[in-house]
Amino acid sequence: MNILALETTGRYGSAAVINDEGMVWCADSVNEMNHLTDIISISDKAISLAGITKKDLTHVAASVGPGSFTGIRIGVTTARTLGQALGIPCIGVSSLEAMAYRVLEDASRNNADIVVPIINARRHQTYAGSWNVIFAMDAGILSLTELHEEKQYMIEELLGQLKETGSVIYFTGDGIDAYESIIRETLPQGSYILAGEDLRYQHAGAVAERALKYARAGRTVAYDDLMPEYMRLAEAEMRLKEGTLSDKIRRTIK
Amino acid sequence: MKHDKHLTLGIETSCDETAVSVVADGREVLSNIISSQISIHTEFGGVVPEIASRRHLENINDVIDAALSEADVTLEDIDLIGVTYGPGLVGALLIGVAAAKSLAYACDIPLIGVNHMHGHIAANYLEHPDLEPPFMALVVSGGHTNIVNVPDYNRCEKIGGTRDDAAGEAFDKVARVIGLGYPGGPKVDKAAREGNRDAIDFKRVYLEPGSYDFSFSGLKTQALNYLNTEKQAGREINVNDVAASFQEAVVEVIADKAVNAALEFGQKRIVLAGGVASNTRLRELISEKAAAHGIDVLRPSPILCTDNGAMIASAAYYAYRAGERSGYDLDAVPGLEF
Ligand SMILES: Nc1ncnc2c1ncn2[C@@H]1O[C@H](COP(=O)(O)OP(=O)(O)OP(=O)(O)O)[C@@H](O)[C@H]1O
Ligand SMILES: [Mg+2]
Repeated sequence: MNILALETTGRYGSAAVINDEGMVWCADSVNEMNHLTDIISISDKAISLAGITKKDLTHVAASVGPGSFTGIRIGVTTARTLGQALGIPCIGVSSLEAMAYRVLEDASRNNADIVVPIINARRHQTYAGSWNVIFAMDAGILSLTELHEEKQYMIEELLGQLKETGSVIYFTGDGIDAYESIIRETLPQGSYILAGEDLRYQHAGAVAERALKYARAGRTVAYDDLMPEYMRLAEAEMRLKEGTLSDKIRRTIK
Repeated sequence: MKHDKHLTLGIETSCDETAVSVVADGREVLSNIISSQISIHTEFGGVVPEIASRRHLENINDVIDAALSEADVTLEDIDLIGVTYGPGLVGALLIGVAAAKSLAYACDIPLIGVNHMHGHIAANYLEHPDLEPPFMALVVSGGHTNIVNVPDYNRCEKIGGTRDDAAGEAFDKVARVIGLGYPGGPKVDKAAREGNRDAIDFKRVYLEPGSYDFSFSGLKTQALNYLNTEKQAGREINVNDVAASFQEAVVEVIADKAVNAALEFGQKRIVLAGGVASNTRLRELISEKAAAHGIDVLRPSPILCTDNGAMIASAAYYAYRAGERSGYDLDAVPGLEF
């Protein structure tokens, strides 16, 4: 197996290739929000670092969101079309889940009970989820089980639910950059850990590792079934539902 | 290559159509699949960029498959990928660009980013097998109103453009004001056939003498003022008359300027392009005015006037023949100039 994984839902894009043994080769975009310009060159770089060619790929995985709508679309469209052109299946991975697994070891080392990735969705909104850290003593294996479902939360609402657990919480994601002061004001000192910047953001390496798990479990889809997870309706759709669609939202052709 | 023909796959997603086509030797349309979102956007009264982007993503790969299978070819037969990289809605454009780059990379096919407006002009190469530059082009669409001198396949010299609203935009705005709804152009066109074009005196805006520029934004205000006055006077409004009179004011100015431009630049042909080129009255009037000076008017059939992948494939083909290539770093450029 050789899986190409794309992660373009955050500020910096990245691509990774993972093989059967779980060895990972990564290439990163050096410019912010340069996903569309860089996506092919970083993919190609990860493929050549892995010592294979694009024809050796067996799957294409993408982080399907939540995150930047534009970034989601670039990653998912690229993965779909590479899958279509190379004749190989696709794998969709949640950006939040990959972020949670990315920090799992660090969380466990810091004796955290719960891992919480938070993506900043502005105006106190977040895309987030939470997972319990499970350590199987006998097998010596770390894993995660879902605690709070992945969805949109107001930061205050999310922190309220986490506070009730009385557990040690490990936060990751760019939500820390936006809401660190609110976290500090809400949770008692010592009851939370903030991921360092080296682990805090979305990365294709973590997507590749989840994708390998999924591929082994047969959780693959045809290229035209790979769907984005925006986690939010378009603003116009919300307004239409509420009956508050205004002329500002309506645009004539341009 | 198939049957000795050079095959270009053209991809277009700049606004609300997901369109892909296969064109042989830059001229022959083997397939032209257009998945329109009009019914979706009608609900919102116009194109909503975020929704357009979402639908493009869901559609693009199936539309590519449909274009290949209708042309009875596979990706291995494709020699060139052309894709619109601007102007347009950024979220919509990037779906086409991301897909095109992925196909080009995966199958080692050359890639060309195409200016959407050059594509509209190239639609004429598909319709008229013998057409070759030089000619004068009139591009009238939802976002653009341009008079363009075309000395050869790969040069488009804009000599005039709108200073505010595009012609199609004016049709859409006035259609909304008089209650015809979206999309406005075809509805005004239809209503106008039943109306009197001399009923209301809409102002013809020619700007400075010799200028090839346009200004249509005053027409919406004028339509609004007219409706208000009539309402206050308790008179009933004849929508067909308003449509016909408004339309006449737009197409008369366009036709005059296009013919003058052809005369000044010594062109014997005017080539129409863009959605508004489907307008019945524009076609009639410009043909009349041009014929008086011995100038021919050519236009693509309506299906090639609106956004489609075939026109992008044709433009890409001629750019390719001139030695142009795009890299995998091709970006979407929403405000791309002519
Ligand atoms: N018969 C017609 N008469 C007048 N206008 C028309 C007619 N048919 C279509 N239109 C107008 O043409 C426009 C759509 O044309 P087109 O698809 O070329 O534009 P676009 O692709 O949205 O814009 P652009 O190409 O500038 O980005 C709309 O404004 C529509 O109202
Ligand atoms: Mg167009």
